Amino acid sequence: MRTASQSPATGTGGEPGFRGVISVSFGAADASADHDADGVSRQDLRFASANPEALANLRSVLAHSRVGVRLVLAGPPADVHAAASAVAVCGLVDEEITILCDEVGPRVIFCGHCHTSTTTDHAIGTDVVCQGCATTLTFTDHFSRRVGGYLGFSAHAEEAA
Amino acid sequence: MTATALQTKVHPALEGSLLLEVTSVRAQTNSITSISFGHPLGEQLPSYVPGSHLVVQYGTGANSYSLTGAGSAPTEYTISVLRVEDGAGGSLAMHALSVGDRVQVSRPRSAFAPAATAKHHLLIAAGIGITPVLSHARYAAEWGASASLIYVHRPGTGAHVEDARELLGSDLTECTDRNSFREVLTTKLTTQKLGTHLYVCGPTDFMDSVLEQARDLGWPKGLLHSEAFSAAALDDGQPFAVNLVRSGVKLDVPAGVSLLETLESAGLNIPNMCRKGICGECAAPVLRGAPQHRDLYLTDQEKADNTTIMCCVSRSLDKELELDL
Amino acid sequence: MSTAVNDKVRDTDVLPERIKHFPFPFSGDIYRYSANVEPCGKVVTTEAGAWGGRLLHVDEHYLAELKDRDEVLDRDPSRLQVLPHMRPAVWDAISTLLPALAEEYPDTMSFDREGNICRWRNSLQDLDVEFTFGDDDSLPMGPLRFLGSQIQDDLVFLDQRQDSLWLDAGVVTFAADWSVGFDVGMKFMEVHHPVPRVTEEKIASRAEQFLMRLQPGEKYRRTNWTLTIDRRLDTSTETYPNWAHDRVTIADDPALPDRLHLRVEIQHMIRLPHSGAVLFMIRSYLLPLRDIARVPVWRENMGRVLAELPNDMAEYKGIIHYRKAASDWLLAN
Ligand code: HEM
Ligand code: FES
Ligand SMILES: [Zn+2]
Repeated sequence: MRTASQSPATGTGGEPGFRGVISVSFGAADASADHDADGVSRQDLRFASANPEALANLRSVLAHSRVGVRLVLAGPPADVHAAASAVAVCGLVDEEITILCDEVGPRVIFCGHCHTSTTTDHAIGTDVVCQGCATTLTFTDHFSRRVGGYLGFSAHAEEAA
Repeated sequence: MTATALQTKVHPALEGSLLLEVTSVRAQTNSITSISFGHPLGEQLPSYVPGSHLVVQYGTGANSYSLTGAGSAPTEYTISVLRVEDGAGGSLAMHALSVGDRVQVSRPRSAFAPAATAKHHLLIAAGIGITPVLSHARYAAEWGASASLIYVHRPGTGAHVEDARELLGSDLTECTDRNSFREVLTTKLTTQKLGTHLYVCGPTDFMDSVLEQARDLGWPKGLLHSEAFSAAALDDGQPFAVNLVRSGVKLDVPAGVSLLETLESAGLNIPNMCRKGICGECAAPVLRGAPQHRDLYLTDQEKADNTTIMCCVSRSLDKELELDL
Repeated sequence: MSTAVNDKVRDTDVLPERIKHFPFPFSGDIYRYSANVEPCGKVVTTEAGAWGGRLLHVDEHYLAELKDRDEVLDRDPSRLQVLPHMRPAVWDAISTLLPALAEEYPDTMSFDREGNICRWRNSLQDLDVEFTFGDDDSLPMGPLRFLGSQIQDDLVFLDQRQDSLWLDAGVVTFAADWSVGFDVGMKFMEVHHPVPRVTEEKIASRAEQFLMRLQPGEKYRRTNWTLTIDRRLDTSTETYPNWAHDRVTIADDPALPDRLHLRVEIQHMIRLPHSGAVLFMIRSYLLPLRDIARVPVWRENMGRVLAELPNDMAEYKGIIHYRKAASDWLLAN
């Protein structure tokens, strides 16, 4: 995790009672650049990826924030989707979240057979090997916000002997 | 009172309604009375969603009142009614009820439901607006949900004050004047943890100002809830006539009766399935007149064309419609 | 003329119950998606008999299907999903469906409730249990699994908020090619995203609007259909690798008329009275083509529907490889 200038130190969470804009950037993205927040107080959080530690940090910032806050999530699909899923569990509604998702970049494929998530750079309609059950999966644009990923299913099951 | 309370003709808004008996009448304050209704044979009544209201018939009219219980498998429905001397007469009729009177009431209707996903319920009530909010507080207590209440009432005139104190303890803030309420509200609106939902009930200007201040302080629409009676069900509509050109008959469609029902009772065989304006089966060609489209089936363009009417739910903007039937 | 009618009566009289009560879904030679919802409880007469008089239906497969469900849940607990805020809805379904079942089958089932203490008896399963409404621990297997062990329907619960319905709980062991473990937490429109035509034709959005207006106590239903090879109820995404291959081989299998089943779902939609959740119930009936063919009108209807069905719908339903073989057999008979 990289921590930027205005972001809180790891583990301490945000400024108590914060009701401004929280910009969360993953990887090389910059959520703050995309959001015009004149006169509104803001916090910038920067993470290399949406790993468990980063999500725990984000949750702790939210736990210290108060209704009125707005959240901007920017970065590759896999990270932004994982973060959006985590903050929905905190009770945030769609209106409170702006998602700035890169068009390309890693996405999560959820195996419909063993339920393991595999992260891939492949495009929709192509195949990927499930990290859980080694099945070759094909995937479409059927997306689950809770899982933060796309449904994959066995690409060759119908042909297989 | 029994004679007038016992209704013979059921008001159209009370379709599928229940004939219940007054089981208790308790004065809450000088002007607010709580009335409970039970099944004449003591049977359990249908459960209801917290924040629901009942439509209660009186004389030729019918009024909506919020239920104050939590709503799970009730044996009684309890409402609290503020006497309005210059109203349409509903509240006076309610205040004249006594134990044993029979009253026609609707099934409970839900239009002010709690959000199941809320992390905290911030309830705000003024005056008689306490009633649906009390229902919410009771439900939250039953399911172990977190709730707090700001209750604005003038000293000595608040209904259910004891109930609220007992239910909420230190999570109740009572305000007895507008100024102290303004301060409390500002503090509360800026200190709620994420996932808090706000519910407000009271006089319209009170609700409007609370909602406006919440929006100004950044509360998104999805977290704001206010009591809006009868938003859910379709109203009875106005009476109109239909001229069936091919059959050569003219029929009256009274308020509270659908065009489909009218056509069926005149012996016409109209295909139908959902009777709710969604399946598209009951379409009838319109030759003249503007239908009042209330269905979910026709597209906006088709509605604007006024050449088709879905007879199960739609009515007429004109006094008469001409149909190709 | 009169002898013809008599012949027909005699024919259907000897048909077994599974055919007589089968909810044959086609009324002509063409099938398209539509918002085919209607009030629950209306009896539909078919060429072979009738269906639809009740919300809950116990048939000859009752014990076998519940055993099947139990085994599926033991193998794969992900078929049961309850997001935490749906607990009240599950209890609401218990206190709505068990009394309804007892009312339908008073000779074998009964439900009594005093305050929050409930007692459920079901002599078909030799069961007599007491539990406390709202207390998950009072039902050792958990409230939703318990409810799923009493009725043959799969159950899906939708929460209504922010102008949408959200699929937030369910016990689905007999899915027709979908995954409740993946779908849980989605909005109604997201759930229907893979279905061809229903978004463009606004069928799904109209259905959602309709469902959001449902008042407590209102009950509606619709049917949906697909084809299933063998009497396999669990055709979920999870087990797809086990059964997908049959889709290719069945076309050339001489046993096709006995192995291939028309699968019809009677789906009920009700608003639960206390939680306000929408309950979606899916009851699956399977009938082999050999049985369908015993009713001449069904044989022809289904044969023509399969032949005419547009490719995108046939592809989505997973029947594209063998619908011609099925249609040919039905129409040649
Ligand atoms: C109330 C709750 C409902 C739920 C939870 C639900 C759920 C589902 C699911 C999970 C699928 C499978 C999608 C996939 O392939 O992943 C599906 C398919 C479908 N649904 Fe729904 N549905 C509901 C109501 C309705 C209604 C009211 C309609 C129409 C009026 C409808 C129309 C359809 C159609 C046409 C399909 C495609 C079926 C096929 O061809 O096999 N659904 N639904
Ligand atoms: S009967 Fe379905 S739209 Fe009128
Ligand atoms: Zn896998």
